[in-house]
Amino acid sequence: MQFLVNGLIAGSTYALIAISFALIYFPTRFFHFAHGAVFAWGAYFGYISVVMLKMPLWVALPLAVGMTAMLGAGLEVGIYRPLRRRRATGLVLLLASLGLYVVLQNLISLLFGDETKSLRAGEIVEGIALFGSRITPIQLWIIFASFASFASVWAILKFTKFGKSLRAVASDPELALVHGVDSDRVILGAFTLGSGLAGLAAILVALDVDMTPTMGLNALMMGVVAMIVGGVGSVHGILIGGLLLGLAQHLGVWKIGSEWQDAIAFAILLMFVLFRPHGIMGRPTRKTVV
Amino acid sequence: MDYLLHILILIGIYLIAAASLNFVAGYTGLLSVAHAAFYGVGAYIAALMALKLGAPFWLSLPCATAMAAMLAAVVAIPALRVHDDYFVIATFCLQVIATSVMNNWIDVTGGPLGLPGIPHPTLFGVSLSAHWQMALLVWAIAGLSLWLLHRLVSAPFGRVLKAIREDEVFTRSLGKNVVKYKVLAFVIGAAFAAVSGSLYAVYMTYIDPTSFTVHESIFMLAIVIVGGAGNLWGSVAGAAVLVALPELLRFVGLPSAIAANVRQMLYGASLVGMMLWRPQGLLGKYRLD
Repeated sequence: MQFLVNGLIAGSTYALIAISFALIYFPTRFFHFAHGAVFAWGAYFGYISVVMLKMPLWVALPLAVGMTAMLGAGLEVGIYRPLRRRRATGLVLLLASLGLYVVLQNLISLLFGDETKSLRAGEIVEGIALFGSRITPIQLWIIFASFASFASVWAILKFTKFGKSLRAVASDPELALVHGVDSDRVILGAFTLGSGLAGLAAILVALDVDMTPTMGLNALMMGVVAMIVGGVGSVHGILIGGLLLGLAQHLGVWKIGSEWQDAIAFAILLMFVLFRPHGIMGRPTRKTVV
Repeated sequence: MDYLLHILILIGIYLIAAASLNFVAGYTGLLSVAHAAFYGVGAYIAALMALKLGAPFWLSLPCATAMAAMLAAVVAIPALRVHDDYFVIATFCLQVIATSVMNNWIDVTGGPLGLPGIPHPTLFGVSLSAHWQMALLVWAIAGLSLWLLHRLVSAPFGRVLKAIREDEVFTRSLGKNVVKYKVLAFVIGAAFAAVSGSLYAVYMTYIDPTSFTVHESIFMLAIVIVGGAGNLWGSVAGAAVLVALPELLRFVGLPSAIAANVRQMLYGASLVGMMLWRPQGLLGKYRLD
């Protein structure tokens, strides 16, 4: 049963990373690779405020999330918006984001070093026994926080004016413009919200398994796999995709071995790309038509 | 002198890798971030054949090339079913898996410890261990590869590839088997990447998975983009600029631990800068839009 619990923990963070990535992907339609580095920066902002500045967690957490959101918004204003003004295609934006990823990740290595850093203070707590498996209080918090943030994103997209304009820009940018939706503002909002969520997810992950400068690459890959498996354009699809990926991975760890975690995720993605490229809940688009 | 030759050799090795990636990404429009995986497969197969079977370089080089080409054909078929950024993601995953296999298949690849003691290539009984001998070998093969790639892109075959890049549906309407051409382009690109990887293995005499990560793929892509996508001479210029320029950091007196990060930041920044101010690259005419 332990794999179920572990899978649920991993799956809920994957779903959170996937929705943070998808929030940016929906309206902009390009793969924001640098999101992985923004994610890693989230963990290190947490490290700065908790460990270096010794703030209590209830001050440190919003501060780190806010800093990550500002980093993401800064990338949009400083790099992506000028590129979009020049009518750059998705591939040009993607190449720029690959470059940004490399710059931001190496900046972390330069400032903090390559070794593992920890947010945890004090001794390691023994897990609580639950249905024949063990779970630590922090892990319970991770699951709770992931589901709570996921639910609030769903509510924002569904019920607020911002959510409505975001869905409008995502489905047809020109029609949205005709109806007076300022797409630049919507995209800026998406970057702010998405990056803030990535920061939150990063801190949750770092609380459980610590941080390294390259943590973002793996997280980004899992988020993207969860998004594609769940179906681009569907919020509950992403939740299902994330949980499915987490469970499948930990079933694999249990049966095969932990070093093949990435390979399992890739195999799942490959099967979806082959047989159902638009994911569980998504609709086929031009890019996914075989 | 040896130091200059070392840089010249590295430029030659990256030149082959970048020119072949240009063939895939610049000419055919398949933006692959798995090029370092094939480069790594070439390096590992050449190294293993030399270490375990004692095979000479002139035998291990074609074997490594053929193996990488076969592997590319196997992975190209699922990867090419998706388009644009989905293809980038598919190759990105491929790259992560390749690195994970190099790290975890310890019996064969030595895992993170890598494979030390790869012998230098021998030619007519002479071991090419001096820098000038390696430089001659690398540049001879680089020249040959460039010539072959140039022949390919100027042939009718290359024209079809460019047509696919410009408009896939239209090319199909002309009766061309688009999937066949794309798979061929991907396989040829991977084969040349393996050539470059084998040269890297026998020159460095030591390989480990850190030389074949996604960062290496992005570095190769940066060479192609900075030099100019869709122009082979651009890749020559790009390799020269991006390999030699960070060497200047040595003379500024940065400690090597910092220099490695600064070097990576430089090429990341060059990619962003190029996208902002000169999307067609230094020598390119083709804009990526």
